[in-house]
Amino acid sequence: MENLLWRNSKLASKFIAMLIACAGAVWVIVPFLWAINNSLKTHADIFKPHAIIPFLQFTPTMDAWNFVLGDPQVLNCLFSSTLVSVGTTLFVLLIGTPAAYSLARFEFRRMKSRDITLWFLSQRVLPPVVVLVPFYILLAQLGLIDTWTGLILLYSTFNLAFCVVIMRDIFRDVSKEVEEAARIEGASLWQIFWMIALPLSLDGLIVTAFIVFAFSWNEALFASAVTSQHAATMPAFILASRSTRGVDFNFAAVNTILAIAPPVILSFFVQRYLARGLSFGAVKG
Amino acid sequence: MSQHHSEKEFNELVAGYFGGRITRRRFIQQAAKLGISAALLSRIVPATYAADENLLDSSPASPTESPITKERVEFLKSKPYKGQTINVMVLKATVGDGLKHWVPLWEEATGGKVNVAEVPIDTLHQQIFSDLQTTHRYDAYMTGAWFYGDFFVPKEPYIVEVEPFRKDPKYPFWTPDEWIPAMKTLYTWQGKVYGVLFDGDCQILYYRRDIFDNPENQAKFKEKMGYDFPNPPKLMKEMHDVATFYTGWDWNGDGKPDWGISLHAKVNEQGFFHFLTLAAPYVCSPNNKFFWFNPDTMKPLINSEGHQRALEDYVKFLSNGPKEAISWTLGQGWALFLSGNAVMEPTWGDLPTFAQDPKESKVQGKVGATIIPGTSEAFDPIKGQWDKFDLNTVGNTNGGTWHCVISRFSKKQEPTYDFLAFMATRKNALWNCTHGFTGVQPGMRFEYFPPAGTGRVEEWVEQGWNAEEAKRYLEAYYKNLTLPVQESYLRIPGTAEYWHELDVRVSAVLAGQTQAKAALDDCAQAWERITDRYGRDKQKALYQASYAS
Amino acid sequence: MEATASVQRKAERVFKYALLAPAVIWVIALTFFPILAAIHFSFANYVLGEGITGYVGFDNYIRVLTDGGFWYAIFITALFVGITIPIEACLGFTLAWIITIGLPAKSFFRPIFTAPLFTTEVAIGYLGVTLFTDQGGLVAALFNSLGIHIDWLSSAAGGLAAAMILDIWIWTPFIFLMSLAALSAISKEIYDAAMLEASSHWQVLRHVAIPLAWPVLTIAVLLRVIEGLKSFGLPYALTSGGPGTSTQLFSIMADLTTIQFTDFGRGSAMGILYLILVSVVITFFFKQMRRRIE
Repeated sequence: MENLLWRNSKLASKFIAMLIACAGAVWVIVPFLWAINNSLKTHADIFKPHAIIPFLQFTPTMDAWNFVLGDPQVLNCLFSSTLVSVGTTLFVLLIGTPAAYSLARFEFRRMKSRDITLWFLSQRVLPPVVVLVPFYILLAQLGLIDTWTGLILLYSTFNLAFCVVIMRDIFRDVSKEVEEAARIEGASLWQIFWMIALPLSLDGLIVTAFIVFAFSWNEALFASAVTSQHAATMPAFILASRSTRGVDFNFAAVNTILAIAPPVILSFFVQRYLARGLSFGAVKG
Repeated sequence: MSQHHSEKEFNELVAGYFGGRITRRRFIQQAAKLGISAALLSRIVPATYAADENLLDSSPASPTESPITKERVEFLKSKPYKGQTINVMVLKATVGDGLKHWVPLWEEATGGKVNVAEVPIDTLHQQIFSDLQTTHRYDAYMTGAWFYGDFFVPKEPYIVEVEPFRKDPKYPFWTPDEWIPAMKTLYTWQGKVYGVLFDGDCQILYYRRDIFDNPENQAKFKEKMGYDFPNPPKLMKEMHDVATFYTGWDWNGDGKPDWGISLHAKVNEQGFFHFLTLAAPYVCSPNNKFFWFNPDTMKPLINSEGHQRALEDYVKFLSNGPKEAISWTLGQGWALFLSGNAVMEPTWGDLPTFAQDPKESKVQGKVGATIIPGTSEAFDPIKGQWDKFDLNTVGNTNGGTWHCVISRFSKKQEPTYDFLAFMATRKNALWNCTHGFTGVQPGMRFEYFPPAGTGRVEEWVEQGWNAEEAKRYLEAYYKNLTLPVQESYLRIPGTAEYWHELDVRVSAVLAGQTQAKAALDDCAQAWERITDRYGRDKQKALYQASYAS
Repeated sequence: MEATASVQRKAERVFKYALLAPAVIWVIALTFFPILAAIHFSFANYVLGEGITGYVGFDNYIRVLTDGGFWYAIFITALFVGITIPIEACLGFTLAWIITIGLPAKSFFRPIFTAPLFTTEVAIGYLGVTLFTDQGGLVAALFNSLGIHIDWLSSAAGGLAAAMILDIWIWTPFIFLMSLAALSAISKEIYDAAMLEASSHWQVLRHVAIPLAWPVLTIAVLLRVIEGLKSFGLPYALTSGGPGTSTQLFSIMADLTTIQFTDFGRGSAMGILYLILVSVVITFFFKQMRRRIE
């Protein structure tokens, strides 16, 4: 987005901005580098002092990687995570976005939109562990223990609130004038929603999708409680780095890297699309 | 009967019998010739089944099963479990890997299939009992010994006895009688066997024998402490002095000061087992076997004077290790010893096992083992008095002792038992013990070296063990398990909760957040509340039952 | 004219309910039973293997309310959130602003700043143990080389500090993303107009961007607060609530009670009390913030 903000800024301001950005990047990257380090260490080296630079201060080994990648369960978990996260995101966007639009544009007789939104929000308040067992029983009754469907069911329920709450705000910001103009032209309510409101709030949709995807991808508690084998996801696999000897930190590091790779790679690709999407905001006057 | 002559012959006889080379009848005949009384014999050779007469050393039908019955050889010809799949839940850990090793071998021999689900250790208890109460998808579960109490809460226990299966000679042959009694307890409930042999945990004291044997160190010790260096320490006081002596100076030549002891105490990471192990001789003795509760009133004993003194001493131990150890996981504690920076560690058999791996340790060939030191004074919490002893040593079976149990709801109990027993035959059980990745420790007599058992050092050396280390480790392990006074293992419903309340309070004391007496009194109160929640009478009955086995 | 108006209104009504209904029905259908079960359990004594052995009225609630540990957990959790979230908000928003004004190499920085959001808390907790440990940990080494010695993992303050640092690392991207969306919704013309009057983009930030992005920012903070109060994986993997129970955030306590001890009665009571407490705070917070804009 070429704008005057950057062009007209003083050099000092630009420099500081760049500095902050680089510091931020370092802050983000260092733990990842440390994870890579850990993944290349033997058990003995993990807690060896001054083992920071590979080859110089410790001998890296592929043992941990071989061990983890040699377990067929890893691919299964990565696949499950992907399937469940994508499925949840799609389903949440499907039923959450219309609901958010409805709450943004209209008022309801019995309850204020704001209160309905609050009700959705309240779904996130309760710590999931309190309802873990009832949800387990529910899934068991439905025969969905250790299935992808079961996880998608759960995650959709948990993450719907994000979509509704965030998108409602995004929709409220979208220009009403454009919609009214279209209405006068004779467009139906549905057409307005589908062809005007949605495209204008694309960046909000993408952010919501990111968030729902991230929360589904990382959910560890329910994943490890309601799956044992077939539908186990990466977080469950990561939890399993904890064995009878405590945590195998090098295996955990490998798992961490494996678990974050798909979403990060995905987000690199989506970001390019996001760049285009962000310029849609320019329509607002 | 001449002592020496007959003893040697008798040992050979015993080795031959347990090694499956001579039959029971012949053994009794020969032993009787040596003048061994019938009474003594019947204790050594308890009544076993007719299958004994049919034991072969091995058979190509199932090459790893040894010994094997003729009936089994016959049974396997038809690939009896073809088309059947059993589902086993294990924890993702060394012991889980150990079980997985046997899957293809069993499948090959019997035609059946095993589906193994590995779950994180954190959720194992929840997964097992959720499955038992709702979904019934698994036939067998790998369980830790402290789950047992929960299995027996409902009127009909969640798990089934294995004896009815074991009697049938078509199954792989193993016998519970070869268990060291202290270990057998953890697999049984009120006299009946529910678990099939797998692991056998206990904690003993490992130390750097090269450092202890060093005469310079010994001289320095004598100078500083005023008495000869105890190699290895036999009394708690000696252990304290040794730990203190070796803390704070560089005895391993790496330029940094080293430590007298390595312990780990992070909450929820089995750190409290160290406390249990080291506290045992303060409370358990020939006069008292109760560590946890008063069996008549179910009142907690955890805040007795003996426990209190044990905790205060435990805090002293931790001052001989890095301060951060109070937040270490188990692996971190081992790392300190294995990197050569701590001179002692009371812990599980995984330590000497990992010591043999150059990727894990720098101390192969330097590890010694001995039983946990004892006390000269033990507190009887029931009578409320201190008793004096020359040396009160107490054994323990602390740890997971991971093994599989069969679900009552399983519709495939036969193939399930078959698989479990397969791993328990002598040859396979021994294989598990000598191969470190399985995390299995020896619980049966035959796994030890003569005269206790029939194991051979060569088998261990083949796996990379230092011969001397293997001998010392097994000797100390065996001695610990056969000590007449044993610290009992808590196996009532809610054990995890009772232990956790103790765990956090011990941790708080170690961090200096509270004092020993206050913490233990508080713990006792918490335990009372737990007991009330589960139902005092029921808990009492189950507590008494867990001692009866 | 009237007829068309009422037809229009009817169409509107059908439309708005049709859009809303699936989401509402879904949530009610799936949360009805679990919430009811939780409430049910909270009035009972549950024992593993036996199920509900009896009803105890408000006993569970009273036990929880009179347990010092419960209030300590609430306090520690509130402290945790109270420190991490303002920092996350400032950092996240600032980074979003820098990107918005046109930072070079945007397509490199943006995914980098987003990345930590995709990590699993438990994994970062484990990583944290190796970062903050005295035995070879990078952060500990860094501080030690500066002469500052902190008992990161073996003290309450240190453990909380380590958890907070990692929490900020993981969750700043959340605010970052939402700020990004908010800032990009402001049109280019507004920015350009403001820049003509201002001497630096920081001023535009202060006078234009923040006020305009405020609604979305408050939602982001609100969502973060709700999530932050439930923090579990990170502190659990890092310290397990120790030493003792000094870093036992509320969710850790709830997890121990409900899952490890299968004390559903007390665990559910804990949960319901927490729900009431936080709902009150959230509702107040939400309405206050909305009032400033609506």
